[in-house]
Amino acid sequence: MLTDDEAFERHVLPEVEVMLRVAMSLTRNTADAEDLVQDTMIRAYGAIGRFDGRHPRAWLLTILRNANINRHRRRRPELIRDADRADRLLESETPHASAEDVVVGETFDATVQSALDHLPDRFRRVVELVDIDGLGYQEAADVLGVPIGTVMSRLHRARQRIRTRLAAAGLVPGKH
Amino acid sequence: MSPLRRTPVADRPLSCGEVGKVLQRYLDGHVDELTAEKVAEHLEDCRRCGLELTVYTEIKASLARQSPEIPETALDRLRRFGEQLIDRSPEPEPLDGPPDTEPD
Repeated sequence: MLTDDEAFERHVLPEVEVMLRVAMSLTRNTADAEDLVQDTMIRAYGAIGRFDGRHPRAWLLTILRNANINRHRRRRPELIRDADRADRLLESETPHASAEDVVVGETFDATVQSALDHLPDRFRRVVELVDIDGLGYQEAADVLGVPIGTVMSRLHRARQRIRTRLAAAGLVPGKH
Repeated sequence: MSPLRRTPVADRPLSCGEVGKVLQRYLDGHVDELTAEKVAEHLEDCRRCGLELTVYTEIKASLARQSPEIPETALDRLRRFGEQLIDRSPEPEPLDGPPDTEPD
């Protein structure tokens, strides 16, 4: 049987990086993200005695989500990702894919970034959590407080929209 | 539930439409073993679906490249913060600790 301190050390400390990554996606600001993770750790420390030790990441991400909901600090609008740079790159001439080519390079990445920035928030957040932060479907569902089916549906539709933008830019073949 | 369980697929190849429905889940590793096998089988012979998988694989890889760098200083501060939470907690009572001081 672990003491609370041992449980905290075993289940919480190894997840600090994942929590910070997710917090940065949610707050889009390093300082706010750091505050959010601290808040999450304090809550986790207070609740560790009631935690059964199973799926610590899912448990922590749920705490992080609740902590984020309760935060009253207004989120600042600076974006971590450089959308201007993406737009500048897109102004340059775009190579065109033949029927069976996928043209991967700086323009491809810029187009993906631009498409991501133009997605509705509910789609963009799922893509950020799964494809950028590397969470699984269930973990993303825990962070967002939605069913796993909603995560899948939003993620797949979001990627389809990104695919459509890439096809319009001539970087991937159009859908048959 | 398997996305393909509603249709008996074990004994026949999948159609492009069926593969299209599960392709993104296949890419993310969120399909069961039977579905993964049937999709892989289909992809061996179908250039169109193979290309579709390549497109989504590249989109996923591109998004992963956009992952913001985690500031090491922030990470270090948070790890120290967690360790301090443990350090500050009261020492547990030793099992055969101090003599009982409760009044009789």
